[in-house]
Amino acid sequence: MTNEAKLQSTAAKKQAPKRRRAASLDRRKARAGWLFVLPFVIGFVLIYLPIIFDSVKLSFFRIEVLAGGGYELEPVGFQNYREALFVDPDFVQVLLTGLTELAFDIPAILIFSLFMAVLLNQKMAGRAVFRAIFFVPVILSTGIMESIESQNILSEYMEESEGIETGTGESTAADIVSAIDVERLFANMKIGTGIVSYVTSAINNIYDIVNRSGVQMLIFLAGLQSISPAIYESCQMDGATGWETFWKITFPMISPMILVNAVYTIIDSFTTDSNSVMKFIASTYEKTDGNVISSAMSWMYFLIVMLIIAAVAGIMSAYVFYQKRD
Amino acid sequence: MNSQNIENKPQVMKESKNKIKVDFERTPLLERLKVKFISMSFLGNLIWYIFRLVLLIGIAYIVLYPFFTKIAGSIMPPEDFVNATVRLIPTKVTFNIYKAIFMELDYMKAFVNTLTLSASTALIQTFICCFIAYGIAKFNFKGNKIVFLLVILTMIIPHPTLQLSLFMNFRYFDILGIFKFLAGGATVGDIEWLNNILAKIDIVPEAWDKWWTPEGLNLTNKYWPLIILSATGLAFKNGLYIFMLRQFFTGVPAELEESAYIDGSGTMRTFFQIILPLSVPMMITVFLFAFSWQWTDDFYTNLFFTTTQTVLLPKIVGIPTSLTTNYAGQNLYYAAIRNTCGLMIIAPLIIMYLFCQNFLVQGIERSGLTAD
Repeated sequence: MTNEAKLQSTAAKKQAPKRRRAASLDRRKARAGWLFVLPFVIGFVLIYLPIIFDSVKLSFFRIEVLAGGGYELEPVGFQNYREALFVDPDFVQVLLTGLTELAFDIPAILIFSLFMAVLLNQKMAGRAVFRAIFFVPVILSTGIMESIESQNILSEYMEESEGIETGTGESTAADIVSAIDVERLFANMKIGTGIVSYVTSAINNIYDIVNRSGVQMLIFLAGLQSISPAIYESCQMDGATGWETFWKITFPMISPMILVNAVYTIIDSFTTDSNSVMKFIASTYEKTDGNVISSAMSWMYFLIVMLIIAAVAGIMSAYVFYQKRD
Repeated sequence: MNSQNIENKPQVMKESKNKIKVDFERTPLLERLKVKFISMSFLGNLIWYIFRLVLLIGIAYIVLYPFFTKIAGSIMPPEDFVNATVRLIPTKVTFNIYKAIFMELDYMKAFVNTLTLSASTALIQTFICCFIAYGIAKFNFKGNKIVFLLVILTMIIPHPTLQLSLFMNFRYFDILGIFKFLAGGATVGDIEWLNNILAKIDIVPEAWDKWWTPEGLNLTNKYWPLIILSATGLAFKNGLYIFMLRQFFTGVPAELEESAYIDGSGTMRTFFQIILPLSVPMMITVFLFAFSWQWTDDFYTNLFFTTTQTVLLPKIVGIPTSLTTNYAGQNLYYAAIRNTCGLMIIAPLIIMYLFCQNFLVQGIERSGLTAD
């Protein structure tokens, strides 16, 4: 850019008329840029903005559905918000539990997807097969499959084995790791019970976590591929171990991806249908006829999500390492 | 030791003009094997190899397990669900559930409808997202950053938040009052005489009266809402596609376009003849995402398709009438049927994935995704 500018200015000194042409090329390029983003801008202004505006507006109104099929709006001010926060017995509760759940899930997803990406990036037999299997959930476990899965008693039934012995067929689904056993194991070590229970719950939710970290794995893989192998070679020459190489090279180089993935994971897990807050809002939407508490709820929820994303991105970007490019 | 070494110095013989032969004494095989296999690094590698394999197989099993249970449940006869000794392996294989779903739930019709819808919206989304992403990535116009922020914003606002107004917008669809005006539904404040005149305007053909009313166009139960959203880059997860493609285009060297411009090609021509052919793997990736996410999507299909006129695959999930029972294992059996519906919905996707998964992974890997 600066080079171009220099060239332009020297060219301008030599021959004044040339300068106008250069400027017009820039302007032409700017116009072409607008042409490319035009579909989005038109759609955003004509369709998306009115929808957002309507949605915000609706959250301040009460809808009366008329017998003829039309509807009437009655302004109620902040009543919907007040009702959601103070009258509805469950909303605040669901919101708080949902947020704490996510505070647990998001680091687990990030760590897991980074770990898997590093594993899948190594050369080994059958790598293509494993990759293909791990990205199955990205393609297949969305939308309708997710909603079938959310009320699925079949896989729990198939999982249990205690019923065979007792003959009743009734049992609690066996956890992969029993929290009590692990806690007993770690009781003598000076590790807080909080960490132990976090790890055990993460392992027991492994299916959920694997399911939700497909895209993140892809993004991390792309990031790992873009690290130049020359850096690793020189590390090896200097005698660095794999562990050191990971923390000194891979981790800093991949840190921009961690930021991207953190933001993506937050967005993704806050907005999927299986999120408990989203479920609650959807059920409120179906339950209530003629009042739009659900709109008010989801806007409040959205504001909270925005704040969280801004905070996370702000904190993390202070630690992100960008490789200087020329 | 030293003198021996000098004696055993490898002999270099010249075989021909360009070829030499080095003749040196090799260490015996046994010793070589010993050095190779009885060492800490080999042991460490072996342990790591086994650990990795076990871990990967375990996680692969976790990923595939729901599909195993679904397949097992779909071929079990109803008696197996009350038989406590039967778990994943059925006593006998029946395809009754598949048959019933295929015959009674309009599977073929739904399949064709979904294929048309998914293929068309995915194609539109791929091209439009390429367009938008290229514009954001390669042109330094004023407002470039703002447009990109808006794209991210559309990704962040959860679509269920907009549920009600999305529906209202496409139930009474109208752009700048044009459609209302043409059907005589436009009003200008409280000016009565003007409104009376406006109400008389009706140039909509009578055949269209059903869905083109003075309140606006009724686009529900048609493909139009999704096509309009796709054509403007606002459909499901389009923010993600635009983001991915933008990263890809940022990595394409500017020299390519510059040389095209110098040779006198315009921006459009450069885009279609130079950039698009380059980005085919990336486009296939985006297409796969768009196609399969539209295929299984139940949010938009439930929102925009309210009647049973247009059957789509995500809406066929249900219990075929010939399979309704009242006996003990009912709940489990119904769950198995619902899961089989799910299997049949994603069966085409599985086949597609088997053929295209290489593109999916490699497309993203080659994108050089970086976060700046």
